[in-house]
Amino acid sequence: MRYMLMIYDNPDTRELFTSPEGRELGAEVDALMERLTESGELVGGEALADPSNTRTVRVQQGAPVVTDGPLAEAKEHFGGYLIVECETIDRAVEIAAAWPSARFAPMEVRPIMDPAGMEM
Amino acid sequence: VIDGARVEPLLRELAPQVLGALVRRYGSFDACEDAVQEALLAAADQWPAEGVPEHPRAWLTTVASRRLVDEVRSDVARRRREEGAAAVAVADERSQAPAVERPREHDDTLTLLLLCCHPALSPSSQIALTLRAIGGLTTAEIASAFLVPEATMAQRISRAKATIRGRGFAPPPPEELAERMRVAEHVLYLVFNEGYTASSGPDLQRTELADEAIRLTRLLRRLAPRDDEVAGLLALMLLTDARRAARTGEGGALVPLAEQDRSLCDRAAIAEGVALVDGALASGPLGSYQLQAAIAAVHVEAPSAEATDWPQVLALYGLLERIAPGPTVALNRAVAVGMVDGPRAGLAALEAIEGMEGHHRVEAVRAHLLEMAGDRAAAHDAYRRAARLTTSLPEQRYLEARAARLG
Repeated sequence: MRYMLMIYDNPDTRELFTSPEGRELGAEVDALMERLTESGELVGGEALADPSNTRTVRVQQGAPVVTDGPLAEAKEHFGGYLIVECETIDRAVEIAAAWPSARFAPMEVRPIMDPAGMEM
Repeated sequence: VIDGARVEPLLRELAPQVLGALVRRYGSFDACEDAVQEALLAAADQWPAEGVPEHPRAWLTTVASRRLVDEVRSDVARRRREEGAAAVAVADERSQAPAVERPREHDDTLTLLLLCCHPALSPSSQIALTLRAIGGLTTAEIASAFLVPEATMAQRISRAKATIRGRGFAPPPPEELAERMRVAEHVLYLVFNEGYTASSGPDLQRTELADEAIRLTRLLRRLAPRDDEVAGLLALMLLTDARRAARTGEGGALVPLAEQDRSLCDRAAIAEGVALVDGALASGPLGSYQLQAAIAAVHVEAPSAEATDWPQVLALYGLLERIAPGPTVALNRAVAVGMVDGPRAGLAALEAIEGMEGHHRVEAVRAHLLEMAGDRAAAHDAYRRAARLTTSLPEQRYLEARAARLG
């Protein structure tokens, strides 16, 4: 089963991770990624740019209306994701708990829809 | 010049035999498996253009042995460079053209399969390793069937090989054999289930997994002809796969058992499956695959959904619950109770099931039984709950459509 581990950020955590004090956290991220690669669980993942770079797009009366900035101003924002394949959701939760930013902002673990299904 | 499509089945068949011969000779499953993959790739490249060699197995064994020896040499050279140390002996010269070890090939393939299904491995690793080493599939093919990047699958396979490194190439001790056979059967069953599921989009690789599971189970049946559970498993696969064309509607839509067009079923597969399960049931102790196959036979032999012999299905689930109890069996039994004793009895059986709370299949069965009982509003809500709980797109579409019908 594939899961998306959704990483949430706030301005403080982003600053923390990019500051010199954040180097150890970065090393933890690298080590965890290496372990997940080595175990064959890592499927993919990306980090997103700061939310201020976002364009929000709506189509109104057939025409796109584009605004600068994210959909909603929130204290925490979606900052990046990992996709893992594990035997159970408990294992995916364990990986999320090991992700360093989980100490500062929440992570969400969500199953990815399977294109196949069982007979009903 | 021959067609590439005819080369592939030959390579798949020869893969475990060549690997078995190599592992017996050189010992290292890990390195031998890599070498055999390379030999298979070379053959897939050359044979369609140049023709199949007269002794294809000997060709593959020779090429794989050379790869293996080259690999050992370059490892040794690297180690020498790295360590700047004394020579490490390479015992490779006698390996140029290994004799083919015919009498042992059956046992070797079974030993290989049981090694790939070693209990120290996770189910996903057992599956990946079995498909590659016994099935002769490439890492790219396996990755594509399981919807992960090739690098992820390659990593999983190499980790699996590292886990069983040093386990030795020998059949399990007699007291462990039965249990190890059960693990191997379960791995093949999981491969089949991956391929059997209805699928939206162009996921052709997945139906190939069902074919591959059947092919490997046929192989296992040849290797262990007296094991009735292997016969039961093969029968279960054939009888389930016989409904493949009836199971999926337009655009990959899921067609429920009750609405499947029986005329689309594969008659030859049904006949073979029924003969297998009858033989197995008559001969020895009951097993879970034999009973599941017997149930599949009742369903597929019924000329229509209405004509299904539900009392027999219920009796078989009763037996299955006794020898292999579990929430999935209890859930399927509740459906049969509903068909035999009425939907309220089915719902009561459903309430008694423990260990499947919040599972979409429980809500789907509840919805179905409520609909049969005429409680449209409650059935609608249960279908919606099931649709929210499932993580499968075709299941979700099916469940939403059922809910919408009850508006």
